[in-house]
Amino acid sequence: MTLRRATAAHLWRKNIVIWAALLALLLLSLGLAYVPMGRLTTAAGIIIAAVKSTLVLLLFMELVTSKSLVRLAAISGLVFVIAMFTLTLSDVLTR
Amino acid sequence: MSDESALLREPWVDFDRQREAAKFGIWVFLGSETLFFGALLLTYTICRVEHPEAFAAAGRETNIWYGTINTAILLTSSLFMAMASQAAESGARLRRLVLGCLLITAMLGLAFVILKGFEYKEDIDKHLVPGASFALPQAGAQLFYGLYWLVTGVHAIHLSIGMVLVSRLFWMFYQRKLRIRENPELEVTALYWHLVDIVWIILYPLIYLPGRAS
Repeated sequence: MTLRRATAAHLWRKNIVIWAALLALLLLSLGLAYVPMGRLTTAAGIIIAAVKSTLVLLLFMELVTSKSLVRLAAISGLVFVIAMFTLTLSDVLTR
Repeated sequence: MSDESALLREPWVDFDRQREAAKFGIWVFLGSETLFFGALLLTYTICRVEHPEAFAAAGRETNIWYGTINTAILLTSSLFMAMASQAAESGARLRRLVLGCLLITAMLGLAFVILKGFEYKEDIDKHLVPGASFALPQAGAQLFYGLYWLVTGVHAIHLSIGMVLVSRLFWMFYQRKLRIRENPELEVTALYWHLVDIVWIILYPLIYLPGRAS
């Protein structure tokens, strides 16, 4: 019984901290969207989204503790998306 | 149904290998999902580079409150999904915690879809569907809303599939037809749910935040 409570409380503590960070980042990106900084405003929104996604990937999806095979599979999708963006935008942005 | 053999499936001879394979398999699938949504995001990027003012004007027309509240709902659903998955993984007997978290996750998914429905209704009333009676004068704004309907629609389908999967697991666990502890189906469903959340996290600044500062 003590073990059960300890485990549940431990899990809540760990995950609620991550959740609070995610919500704080959401509010931060909402606030920054109204600050006129030109392209930086757009960049801020995207960077914050990237940070939030990384938190979910590493901690909720447990990539931090996953085996290397799983990490490799997780990264492969991202690698090909980056290749797709790089190859396409190197054309579009230099026309 | 207290031992691992109840969860063991063909062709595996060993339960730990089965869990590893399930995780590897879903990550490969999530990689293909990343490319699928990545292609849509690339289309968005190119259209936005070519029509920056129109995208700002179109982004301003979206309802930021629906967008922000729905993002908070999905982030919270991910908290409960992670709790369910980790509690099942922990080996402790946390049946009620897993059941409760799964139920709340599915309910938050439902809340998201219902809110999205109200938002769609408002968008239709504001003539934000591309076509002859489109509300905004800029041609690029129609591209924004074309992508808006496509991407949010595809995301809603993904989320609905997730809700079915989570509800099914809840029901099977509730009826004691499946063992909760270390269940690979739960782990795989949780990973899928989190990816659908990540897709929305990335869509949020692209759909709701453009044009707010100008």
